[in-house]
Order: sequence, then structure tokens, then C-alpha cells
Amino acid sequence: MTSGYGRFALARAGQAAVVVLLAYVLTFLVISVLPGDAITNSLRDPQSGLSEADIQRIVEFYGLDQPVLVQLALSLGRFLTGELGFSLQSNLPVSQIVGDALPSTLTLATMALAIAVVFAVAIAYGAHYAPPRWAGILRSIPSFFLSVPNFVIGLVLIELFAFRLHSFTTTDPNSATATLFAAVTLAIPVSAPLAEVLIASLDHESRQEYALVARSRGLAEAQLFARHLVKPSALPSVAMVALIVGELLGGSVITETIFGRDGIGTVVQKAVTGEDQPVLQAVVSLSAVVFVAVNLAADLLTPLLDPRVNVREAANA
Amino acid sequence: MSADLNFARLRSAGTATLRSRAGIPPTVLVSFLVILLVVLWSLFPSLFTGYSPVNGDTGSKLDAPSLQHWFGTDYLGRDQYARVVYGTASSVTSALVAVAIGLVVGSAIGLASGFRGGWLDATLGRFVDVLLAIPGFLLAVVIVSSLGFQTINAAIATGVSAVAVFARLMRAEVIRVRRSAFVEASYLEGGNRLQALLTHVLPNAYRSVLVLAVLQFGTSILVIASLAFLGYGDPPPSSDWGLLVASGKTYVTAPWLVYAPALVIVATVLSINRISRWLRNSK
Amino acid sequence: MSAPNPGGPTTGKDTTVPETKPSPLLGVEGLHVAYGDRKVVHDLGFTLARGGSLALIGESGSGKSTIAKAVLRLLQPAEASVGGSVRLAGTEVLSLPERQFRALRGRQLGFIPQDPGSALNPVRSIGTQAHEAAALTGERDAAVRRRIILEVFEQVGLPDPVRVYDSYPHQLSGGMLQRVLIALTVLPRPSLIVADEPTSALDVTVQKLILDLLGDLRKELDIGLLLITHDLAIAAERADTLVVLKDGAVQEQGPAAQVFAAPRTDYARNLQADVPALNPDRYRSQRTGAPQDTLQRTWQDSASQDVATQDGTTADSTTADATTADRPAQIAVTNVTKSFRTRGKEVRAVDGVSFAVERGRTHALVGESGSGKTTAVRLLLGLEQPDSGTITVGGHSTAGLNRAGLRDVRRHLQLVYQNPFTSLDPTWRVGRIVREPLDRFGVGSTAERADRVRDALQSVGLPDDAADRRPAQLSGGQRQRVAIARALVVRPDVVVLDEPTSALDVSVQAGILELLARLQRDLGLTYVFVSHDLALVRQVADTVSVLRRGQVVEYGTVDQVFDRPQHPYTRALLDAIPGTSGLASPAVAGAPAEHSHIPKLAEAAL
Repeated sequence: MTSGYGRFALARAGQAAVVVLLAYVLTFLVISVLPGDAITNSLRDPQSGLSEADIQRIVEFYGLDQPVLVQLALSLGRFLTGELGFSLQSNLPVSQIVGDALPSTLTLATMALAIAVVFAVAIAYGAHYAPPRWAGILRSIPSFFLSVPNFVIGLVLIELFAFRLHSFTTTDPNSATATLFAAVTLAIPVSAPLAEVLIASLDHESRQEYALVARSRGLAEAQLFARHLVKPSALPSVAMVALIVGELLGGSVITETIFGRDGIGTVVQKAVTGEDQPVLQAVVSLSAVVFVAVNLAADLLTPLLDPRVNVREAANA
Repeated sequence: MSADLNFARLRSAGTATLRSRAGIPPTVLVSFLVILLVVLWSLFPSLFTGYSPVNGDTGSKLDAPSLQHWFGTDYLGRDQYARVVYGTASSVTSALVAVAIGLVVGSAIGLASGFRGGWLDATLGRFVDVLLAIPGFLLAVVIVSSLGFQTINAAIATGVSAVAVFARLMRAEVIRVRRSAFVEASYLEGGNRLQALLTHVLPNAYRSVLVLAVLQFGTSILVIASLAFLGYGDPPPSSDWGLLVASGKTYVTAPWLVYAPALVIVATVLSINRISRWLRNSK
Repeated sequence: MSAPNPGGPTTGKDTTVPETKPSPLLGVEGLHVAYGDRKVVHDLGFTLARGGSLALIGESGSGKSTIAKAVLRLLQPAEASVGGSVRLAGTEVLSLPERQFRALRGRQLGFIPQDPGSALNPVRSIGTQAHEAAALTGERDAAVRRRIILEVFEQVGLPDPVRVYDSYPHQLSGGMLQRVLIALTVLPRPSLIVADEPTSALDVTVQKLILDLLGDLRKELDIGLLLITHDLAIAAERADTLVVLKDGAVQEQGPAAQVFAAPRTDYARNLQADVPALNPDRYRSQRTGAPQDTLQRTWQDSASQDVATQDGTTADSTTADATTADRPAQIAVTNVTKSFRTRGKEVRAVDGVSFAVERGRTHALVGESGSGKTTAVRLLLGLEQPDSGTITVGGHSTAGLNRAGLRDVRRHLQLVYQNPFTSLDPTWRVGRIVREPLDRFGVGSTAERADRVRDALQSVGLPDDAADRRPAQLSGGQRQRVAIARALVVRPDVVVLDEPTSALDVSVQAGILELLARLQRDLGLTYVFVSHDLALVRQVADTVSVLRRGQVVEYGTVDQVFDRPQHPYTRALLDAIPGTSGLASPAVAGAPAEHSHIPKLAEAAL
């Protein structure tokens, strides 16, 4: 098993690396559709406060006067060594900007993930075991969650809890309560697909023959759930983890904007309005790295959790 | 492992016998009506309101909802209901464009990938992986920032990030059908692969993709509204739903400016989701 | 066994038994089950004494499985409503609160399911699941429980109990899994076991072993058995009492020997007639009779208009004549080998297989799972290419043909799939399905194609309006007829039939086989018939190849193979046919139970 697993892990890691590289290239090409002149024009704009020498240095650094492929090569080379370049707006190193913003987003995302899992599990369990009328309502909650845009959720929460109930204030976005509400806003759209997958799995597994046989051995529903249904039902969600992380990252742009937090989302927002290519490039590429890493971890974890998965077959998938 | 497949199992493995069509549930009917209304708003906005979405009567600024102004008025005295109705066109049409892009490009990729297999599948698979690796919303943001802040570009951006989802589903369905006995039978009956693809695989695969397309329509409306909210859509005085919410949120004393467009968004997407679920269950 | 009721042999309602007798182990009275407002079981009643055995026989839709689950109260109350009386050792159980009844499940009432492959949680090891059963004995010490589990594993004949204990379900074969399930069911010493088609998913030799095991354990531990099955022969062999069900109502019930040998109702009689083992000569007259003139003529007329048959002979020589020494072989497979790589290991699916089929005859390939019979026919059809050996159809070799070449061969060589539920495109209408070969091969004009489709549908006994329906609107038997029509519409010389009836009820099976026999006679078709059912093969084939693990272990005419089997494996297969030992049945050759070494041989094959 170990050598087969080792080969499988290596193959997957290789694929992951390729995907990251391609993601970087794709992002770069998309971003650089913006004509170079526009950038140098905005650099030369007296309001940017950059001297001619500064501008020249930036142009040289990024090869802004060179063909796109050269720029790409320069950029990629630097990315691979961890050098993320400098912001066009503030001239600060991008790695610093990202580094400063990361803790806030990490806190938010982690909280949101925890809340989303709790929501999803509660909904799934309720949808399965609650009395029929409640179960029906619970089953339609994920669909409802998916119908409300997250900016509306955020605004409603702020309206209700900040302005009416004064549970927190929008002037201190990093307070615990404020963070909690921001996390809930971020969690709601993320919990919906997770809940749906869990409900579907539970439905499927509890109809399986082995559930019937276990019941015939005198197992009560609660025992059946804990001992037999949890593991196989949860397995499909592991595969979803990467997608969830992606949703969290994407959703953070709006959530942080609404709640006035200083995270990656706000960084993105500023970079877009300021046409700050290097920052955008860096953030998107890093997101891809995170996504691919999480996906890789899930792929590597699944054969260990599910004894049915044949590693050799999985390596060729 | 088992020598003979007993008939009970085989019966459930093949397609189920037609379920009795018990008619359309009421919630689905209501959903269809809502969608119909929204579509009509987008096509013939002037039929639904006499007010202008652009010019307002500054004398009646920030009025609460009343019989005269169903959704109230905004800070320039414009009728909010009119603004919502006129904003439907870009919100809904752009979503359709997004779904169309995702559906056509994604299905083509998935079809080629699933049917051909081999190196084509591997290459296209990497491409799809890349599209998936970049979180959908971020990808849309990046594309919009490159193309320019217009709702149509937001639509294109949303469509591109939806390609991966369609490609994956189409590929899975094609592979599933490709392995069926009746496809193999068609080869034994003298058919070639192209015929099998067009006459057997596609008709059996498109159902699930259609359900997804409806679902994605709703998702696209949300994404485009979110992009508009951030200011990445058409600039004012256009009245994309998302933009309405964004411009309304600063007027804390006039919550209807936020709730009216928000409710319309929710109602629309909820209806779309209901229809999608109904389609999925009646397959 | 039911206490003989002086009021009459079988009433279906065994009401109050005379007070002097102890209450039966299981007493069912007036049981009815409904799914929503659809009644599936009507007013059912039977009794089962301690240590006795009763079989519920029925085809699909008879409600037999539902009854089993109703007795165990495993039907979800949200889906099914159950009424009537079920008494377990005198206690009424249907009205017991769930918690009290749960205490009975497993301890008093055991359950053996149909498909062992899905009856155990796939992500947990056998051992951890076995502890659930062991816990029912009340033993708290885990080490003691493990010992008990290993003991019972040995008792059921598992060769390496410790390895099985540590394995996961997907690592064991179907037969071994079913032994595990029996072990777990028997462990808490229940007084009654409900077995729902416990062997339908298993090979026939394994089937016999499992049923023997169950019988032995029952005798040893005095456990009553409620056996659910669709196989009348198995029921008659293994149970004391039979209850014949149709559409949820009792047709006939009584002592097994009586119901089996002398059924009183028409339905039971038909069931008995449909058991292949009991009627080996059923279709012989149809196969060797003179062809019906009109059909033969139409066939030959259009056949001669088609592209000439490959070996030059016209279709005239298709009258089924019993003795022709110089009849050319329509199909000749010589020393064919094919290996596959799976999971890094190379498996020889077909190893030096040879057989020949004369024109107008039926050759059967018989084997259990893994025997290579499916691969052999796929090689014949060109769906796979052999590693070595030759295959000729109509005198022309099929080796190394390109796609166009294969297409030409397939013009005269068609296949009927095993599963009628997946071999027809659900989005197509029947007419189009049957017409597909004509469209693809470019045969005839549009009008001619329509005619041919109509003829084909008629000859398989389907009404004309079936052409407008979709497969989902047809029953299993009807769908298989469509598949046969589709195979015939191109006027092939050879039809390969891959277990064409194993997905169908026994009564439907007979209709299809009769149809096939008639078509062969009328149209001079050559059949290659794949099956795992030796008794069935006796009814339909002229020559037989018995395959085991990719090799032909026996080859000859039907009479040779059945009356004078040479290979021990063949003898084991014959021995395992239910209904051939004990009860009154016509002599089916294959001496039962004399070869004591046979069970071990077959067991080693597990």
C-alpha cells in the first residue's frame, strides 16, 4: 500500500504544481489585457506622488515597456522565489500588504468555516431526524440561504444588531461581536452547499442495505447514526473542502467591505479600483495556491479515510 | 462477485418507470409567475411604470413607500419601483449571457473531454482545474477589472467562472452514458462514434446539464448583483439591482431603498431555485 | 410445519390452534401492508413452529420482501402502514413500543439480507461490526466477545477467521460475506431467522453451500427459518411448508412436498412448470420441428436480396435437421486467449478456449462468475481482440479486423444483452430502437425499413402500437422482446444471447425462451447462449461448453454433459441445481451427494 500511495501522492502533487503555474499564467494574461500605457499614464499622474526616477524604476522592474511574454517570465520567476513585487499605488511590497491583511481574513474565514460546519451539520441532522413538518422546513433552508446575496445578509445583520440592538458598532470592526456577525454573513452562503451534500449523503446511506441490517440487529436510530452513517456520509464533504475554501475567499471581498474590515478582501477591492496589477496578481495567485493545497490535502486524505478507494486506480483518474 | 444480477437490482439500475405526473406543485407555479414577471420587466419596462428611473422630482425626496410610489423614492426623488423595473434588463439579461457562456463553452469542453478521453481529456482537465482553482468571485473580479466596469463585462466574467462547473458535469454525464449498454449496442449495430455521440449521449446527458443551467442562472444573478454592489457594473444613473442596494445603504433613514431591490433579488433567485429543484426531481 | 388443520388442508388462515399445543414460534394472521393507499399485502396468514421452516415464494411484486420486513418491523412508518397480527412465541409484536421490540431484534429475530455485498458498512472493518452482534449476547468484555466472534466464524466455515475479522467488506467474496452475515445472525442464538433471498446474488455452487450451512446450523441450534425466495425449487428443498404468493395474496400453502409435487392452483402449477430443472425437454419440439412455411419464406426472400451471406451458401439450408455430418461450422473459436491487467496483476480471463457451433444450432457457454464466458462472447463479437487464437464466423476470420471489417461481420452477428433495463436508450421510442441497425447499416428504403420493423415486432409478439412507446413504459419481458427484435431486424445469421433471461421473472423467462426457440426454428438462426444456469441450458442448447476460470473443463452435446459428466466441476454444478435432490422431480442426471470430495473442491473455489 505504501509504495502505491507514495506514487499516488507524488502524481497528485505534480498535478497540483502544474495547476498553480497555469493559474498564475492565466491570471497574468487576463490582468495584463489592460494596456500598458494606461498604467504608465496613471503612474505619471501627478497625484500619485512618484518621481520620474521612481516611475522609471517601476517600469524597468515590471518590464512594462516590454512584450507581455517577457513581463510574464519576469513575474513568474519572481513569484516562484516568493518575491511578489510592489504595489503600484503605494509602492509598498506586496508581500507586506498581504501579510498585514492576512490575520484579519484568517480569523474571519476560520470562524466562518466553523459556523458553516455547525449550521450544515445541524440542518442535515434535523432534516433527517426531526418530525416531518420540521424536517421539510429544514430541507428547504439551504435553498433559501443560496437565494439571498451575502451583501444583503450583511446589511440586514448590521441594521438589526448594530443600529437597532447595539450589539456592536461598525466603527470597531475587529471587536469580537463584530467579527462574529461578519463570520455569520460569510458562513451562510457557504453552509448551504455543504448542508445539501450532507443531507443527500445521509439520505443515501440510510437507505443502504447495511443500515437495514444494522437496524435488524436492534440498533436504535441514534446509534445507527453515530456508528454507521456519520463516516460514509461525511466523506463526500471532504472532497468539497477546497470548494468551500474558495467560496470563503471570494465571499470575503464583499463581507469585509461591508463590515469595514482590513483584510484581503478589502485589499482586493482597493487594488481593483486602483488598477493595481501586482497586488491583484499576487492575491489571486495566492488564493489559487491555497485552493490547490487544500484540494491536494483532501485528495491525499481520502484514501486514508475510505478503505474502498483503490490508490492505483485513483492515481490514474 | 455475484454471478447473476437479480431482477430487483437490475430494475433499479436501469431507468425508472415513468412516475405519475401529478401536476405542477403550487410553489412551482408561483415561481414561474415570478420569473415571467421579471422577464417582462426586462423586456417592456415602460409597460409597468410611468415614472422615469433617471429623472426624479426633487420635491419628494426619500419618501416612504406609498400608493403613489410603491417602493418609495430615493435621494433624488426618483421612484424606486421604476428604478428596480428598469434595472431588471441589465440584471437579468446579463445573467442569461453568463449562463449562455458557461453552458456553451463548458458543455463543449465537457463533451470533448468525456467522449474522447485520453490526452484531450487530460489537457482540458488541467484547464478546467485551473479555472476551478481560482475562486469564482475573485476570477470574476479580475476579469471585470481588466475589461472595464460594465455590467456586460461582469456577465462575461461570471460566465467564464461558470465554465468549469458545466464542464465537470457534462464530462461526468458523458462518461456515464458512454458506458451504457445501449451505446455499445449501437456500435454492434453498425453505428460509429459520432452517431453515438449525437443520437445517444447528448439526449441522455443534457437533462442534468439543463437543471444546472437553471441553477446557474440564479447564481449568476447573485454574482452580478454582488459585482454591481461593489461598483463593478454599469455606473449610475443605471439601476442594476446590486447598485441600487449599494447606493441605498448610506441612507439609513430610508431602509426601503435597500429592502426593495433586495427583496426582488431574493424573490427572483428563490423562484429560480424552486424551478431547478422541481426539474431535478421530475427527471 | 403447520399443524394439520382438520378443517381442510390449506385455508391461508390458521386461526386458533388447539390449546394443548404450544404456541407456534411465529403466527401471522390477517397481515396487510400498504404504501400510502396502495395495498401490497392482503390478509396474509401462516404459522411456523419452533425449529421449523417456511418458505414464502413469489415473483417480483408479490410482496414477499415486504412481508419479511413487516415481520421485523423494518418498514419505515412514514412510508408503509402495517396492520393485522404477528405473534412471536405467543406475544403480539406489531403493537409493542419500539424500544421493547428493538430488544427482540437481533436477539430473538435474526435477518439475513439479499445482497451480502452491501449488507455491511463498507468503511468499517468486519470485526468492529461483528461486535454489534456479539454485544447482543450481553457479554461486556471485548476480549470475550472477540473470541466468540472468531468461534462462530469458524463454525460457518470461514477458512481464516482472524483475517476475515480484520478485513473490510469489499475485500471478501460474496460467498464469504454471506457466511459472515450468517455467523453474525446466528451468534446471539435467535429463535427465528428471516432470510430474504439469501442466495440470489451468489453463484450456484456457493448457493448450495450456503443453504446447506444454514440448514446445518438450524438443526444444531433449533432455529426457525422464514425463507423468502422466488425459486420454487430452492423453497421446496429447504423448507417444510410453502406459501405461494402473488400480488400480496396467498395462492396456495401447505407442506412443501405436497405443493411442489402436486400443486392445486393454476398459478402454482405454472410456477412449477417454469422451473427449468423439472422440464428439461420443454422446448425441444419447438426447436426441432418443421419451420413455419410463411415466415421462412419471407425471411429467405429478403435474405437473398441482402448482401450475400459470407460463406456463399444461400439461406436455403436452414431447415433444422437433426443429423448432418457435413454441415459447416458457422462459428469456430480455436484456442483463444485474452488477458487483462487489473490492479497491477495480470488476469487470464480466457485461457485456450475452443468451441464450434453448427449453423442452426444452439451452443451454450456455462460458467459461474469469473469463468470468462462474458469475455469469450465479447471476443466473438469483436468488442475485444484476442491475444492469441482464431475466431471465424461463417468461414471468415475476425482477427485483426479494422472498424469497417468488424462492421461487416456484425451485419450477421448480433447480441441480445442481459439487462433489458439498460440495453435500450431510454430517450428513444421502441420503433426507432428496433430500426437502428437498419439505419446504421443502410439497409433498404425508408418504407422497407418500416415494414421490417413491423415484422420484427410482430415476430417477437409485441403489438404494433408498441413502436410508439418508450422503454420505460414496457415491462422487463417486453423490453427484452424489443432487444430481440432489434437483434433480428438485420436478419443476422448468428445471435449471441448473454443471459437473456436472468433479469426476468421465471414466468416471463419461459415466454422469452419459447420465443427464442420458435424463432430459431423458423429463421434458421444460430445461437450462442451464455448462462450460469445449467438447468436452463439443458432446455435450450444442443451443445455445451462448461467454463471455469477461463478454461473449458467440459465440452460436448447436452446429453453427454448432463448424463455423463466427466469433470468434477461439472458434476458439482449439476449437483448444485436446486430441485434435483430429494423431492419428486424428473430425473435430472447428476448423482447427488455421492462425491464427498466435491463440496471441498467447490469451497476452495470461493
